Amino acid sequence: MTDTQFDVVVIGGGSTGTAVARDCAMRGLRTLLLERDDIASATVGTCAGMISSGLKYSDEPDIMAMCSKEVVHFSHIARHIISKNPIIAPLLDLSDAASDSSYVDSYSAHAEERAVPSMLFLTPEASREIEPMLHPDVIASVYYEEFFIDPFRLCMLQALDAIKHGAKIRTYCEVIDFAINHNKELEGVVFYNRVSGCTEKVRTKFVINATGPWAHKVASAAGEKLDIRLNKGAHVILDRRVVNVGVTVKAIDGRWVYLFPHENTTLLGTTALDTWEDPDSLVASFDEIEYLLQSIETVLPSIREARIIRTMEGVRPLVPEWKKPEGMVTRGYQVIDHGANDGTKGLISFTGGKLVMCRHMAETVTDIVCKKLGKTATCTTHERPLPGNEVDIDIVGLSREYGIALHALERMRARRGADMMKVLELTREHPEWKTTVCTCEPVIEAEVRYTIREEYPQTLNDLRRRLRLGTGPCQGTSCTYKAAAILCEELNLGGDDFLVDILDFRAERWKGIRQSLRGEQLAQDELTQGMYACVGNLDQSDVDYDVKPWEEGC
Amino acid sequence: MNLKADLLVIGGGMAGLVAGTVASESGLTTLLLRKGQSATANSSGAIDVIGYVPDVLEPFSSPEEGLLAIVALYPLHPYAIVGYGDDVTSEETSAAIIGRVREAIMWLKEHLGGTIASVTGEFDTNMHLITIIGTTKPTCLAQMTMCPGDLEDREDSVLLFAGITGCSEFNPSAAAKTYIEDRMALDGPPHKVGHCMFQVTPFGKSFNISSIEIARHLDREGSIEALAEQLKVQVKRIGATHVALPPVLGIRNAIANKSKLEKLIGATVFELLGFPPSVPGLRLQQALEGVFIKAGGKMLVGHEAISHVRTKQRVAAVIARGPLREIRVDAKAIILATGKYIGGGIAGDEKGLRETVFDIMTVTDDYHSSRDIVPSRSTNRLSINPTGQPIQACGVGIDSQFRPVREDGLEWAENLFAAGAVLAGYNYSVEKSGLGVALTSGYSAAKNAIDFLREVKQVE
Repeated sequence: MTDTQFDVVVIGGGSTGTAVARDCAMRGLRTLLLERDDIASATVGTCAGMISSGLKYSDEPDIMAMCSKEVVHFSHIARHIISKNPIIAPLLDLSDAASDSSYVDSYSAHAEERAVPSMLFLTPEASREIEPMLHPDVIASVYYEEFFIDPFRLCMLQALDAIKHGAKIRTYCEVIDFAINHNKELEGVVFYNRVSGCTEKVRTKFVINATGPWAHKVASAAGEKLDIRLNKGAHVILDRRVVNVGVTVKAIDGRWVYLFPHENTTLLGTTALDTWEDPDSLVASFDEIEYLLQSIETVLPSIREARIIRTMEGVRPLVPEWKKPEGMVTRGYQVIDHGANDGTKGLISFTGGKLVMCRHMAETVTDIVCKKLGKTATCTTHERPLPGNEVDIDIVGLSREYGIALHALERMRARRGADMMKVLELTREHPEWKTTVCTCEPVIEAEVRYTIREEYPQTLNDLRRRLRLGTGPCQGTSCTYKAAAILCEELNLGGDDFLVDILDFRAERWKGIRQSLRGEQLAQDELTQGMYACVGNLDQSDVDYDVKPWEEGC
Repeated sequence: MNLKADLLVIGGGMAGLVAGTVASESGLTTLLLRKGQSATANSSGAIDVIGYVPDVLEPFSSPEEGLLAIVALYPLHPYAIVGYGDDVTSEETSAAIIGRVREAIMWLKEHLGGTIASVTGEFDTNMHLITIIGTTKPTCLAQMTMCPGDLEDREDSVLLFAGITGCSEFNPSAAAKTYIEDRMALDGPPHKVGHCMFQVTPFGKSFNISSIEIARHLDREGSIEALAEQLKVQVKRIGATHVALPPVLGIRNAIANKSKLEKLIGATVFELLGFPPSVPGLRLQQALEGVFIKAGGKMLVGHEAISHVRTKQRVAAVIARGPLREIRVDAKAIILATGKYIGGGIAGDEKGLRETVFDIMTVTDDYHSSRDIVPSRSTNRLSINPTGQPIQACGVGIDSQFRPVREDGLEWAENLFAAGAVLAGYNYSVEKSGLGVALTSGYSAAKNAIDFLREVKQVE
């Protein structure tokens, strides 16, 4: 057997693709994952990271039950990247409460297994004690608890775990063709390596198409028609945790929107609009930003005083149900076995699904592949921990021992759990690597170097996804050049590559900053321009910079 | 509390301090209000006049060449406005502009002489200084400590980039790679560069060391000798003729430190252009404050102008809020030098931009009102590009006397002048013109204010 033959090739390095690769590898299949960009670089990278109990889908009880079960699994296998998300839904008039109260019972039915209280009603006083910014006219609120998972780390840890079990993960490899024999059986996959510029081919009889909003495009490369409903959603991101707990409210059109304190920032989301645009060039619109701000303003009147640092826009790959508003479309997922419908044998695609279901989706599809391959191995992805989940870490003791700020260690622990010891180990020989590179998050140099060595980033943006580097209030203004220099050293890049990495990173940050540019962020932009254009003279640089999809046109 | 002054300057960066000094030296009682740290203190500390015009990729070889292009292409640029006046005919405009900028540059060089930010360079040429990321940029004046001497002139020069362990603000290996690739493309010396790390441990720290801490440490007796011991070995190792350091040579003693270090290691030492927090920016700020105080000016730090009292055509007084009190300053003339977004002179939300002290109409770079613009729509898709972000060229529009104007084009008040980044019509990041415009407009606004007060006095 060579490196060019696999039992299964997974396309897509999002939450589903990495979960499938992990499950396949753990069941002993020779597995290859091909990702066009980087792990978690598209849909999952633009979500809020909530692993929802399915509260919004109370008319789909099976899905609610499955969501709840999956939350329990995650809290066993990935507790280091999970945090509690307490939420209040303030009510301004009685109609808010009366309209649909079935969700209270269906939520509470599964509360016990997730170790959260049943849904509670709070008095106005109790509501304002929890969240003093609430509108004075609030008559009551509903309190419940959900969970967050770090979506970037989830994908990364699933990928690393897959590698540990023998899978190969190739980023920056875009599938362009399939080898299909005259019996309509899949024989191989052809992909373009975007780093080397070469086209490569591997042999396989099974391909799992986990490419989210690109699923229909990938399927069409095999001559298959795949129906999908694409629906875009925007988030507005504030510079710090401006609320104590999550706040949800009904928007002008009756949809629920939310404001969640999240990592070191606050997320305001989301919109839901059907879209036919290219997901690569989509950005949040003025209307989407206003829709979100005006909605949350009804219960948090001072929200516009907060500093907006950026926006992000993602695309949901929904199950193709027509003549229904987005909120009525099933949140379940479909597994399309193209061969079973007289199409290409061996090609299986996903539509629909949610972040919280990614492990479940992987289990379903891996069961199918195993059955076809005659393998009997059963799924263990819900039992075996993801890397770093093994033991508890005493960051207070470590802070004393290593002389590193507690906050920095707390953030590191939230990214990699017990594996943070490997990062700290590096500082024994290099105490200078305790230096903070990104001060907003914060991230120390040892973790940057460890990540470059162990988590295969190719660019500064890849480092951001692995470390949350450059995601805080300054949006990388003060760490872009520092981190680029370390990347340049570790990967032995040339001077031009160093500058290109800086420009790439600024381009990606600007994509999100630009749409909501206002307030204090104008000063931040003046500083960024002052550093990279005025002093660094990079606006005049003649390096080979590739214009990004969202930068094309005028 | 009430205070009185002939001239009130609002803002304490380059524009405000230059304006205040010029006014004080002419005999006016001058009071300057400063809210917080200025953008000048965060600058690289080199004084750019003009390096490029937007969209053109070739740098100007001299400020004069650049100014001629500005006059031809951007008649509403603050540099162009210094050439307009009642007594200047249109043929003379270019000569008047060049003359005024040259005069301001000479004035600054002379005033910074002997200070901790003493500068070198000539109005007749742009030099190309190396930055901490290894790129180069055109600038007119550099602090003495930033001068690379004959680095790019002698064939046998060898440059050593030296960084400090535990200080993330400068990575010498990345800078060395960028710079040597640039020199190889231009086929000019130095043909050899190297890089090394050395240790400075202010307060015994071995990590998270900032450039400001290092500079303070190097101000202390004996620290340069310790540094020289380490650098000497590295200089010898690669045969370096020049050593590039991040901008950390000291705050008070940087110039003396440079010559001491050069003597001890036998190579030319210079500071690279750096990012904030900036030691040379801080030196420039402190030196300018010293010059202003020496000229007799008075400075109130931590005071923010919040409102004003108006009588018909003039601003009679400005109310400022300090940490403990509100004060009223009655002034005969006022210079608004509050900066742009960093300085706080201009602010914006999703509805538009506003000037923060007097609520004067803001305009775009082509003098259309920017009161109602959505900031994101005055931007370019590309983050870092030679056209720049148009939003960064917004500010207040001015008449030929540097007085902010209303919608009808007439002055907002007879006795209110403006200077520096609060002005519209230029984008300093792409032009490389920030401190040069601040200097020239501060200088010109003060001259105009002085003339105005003289006329008022004659009338009265």
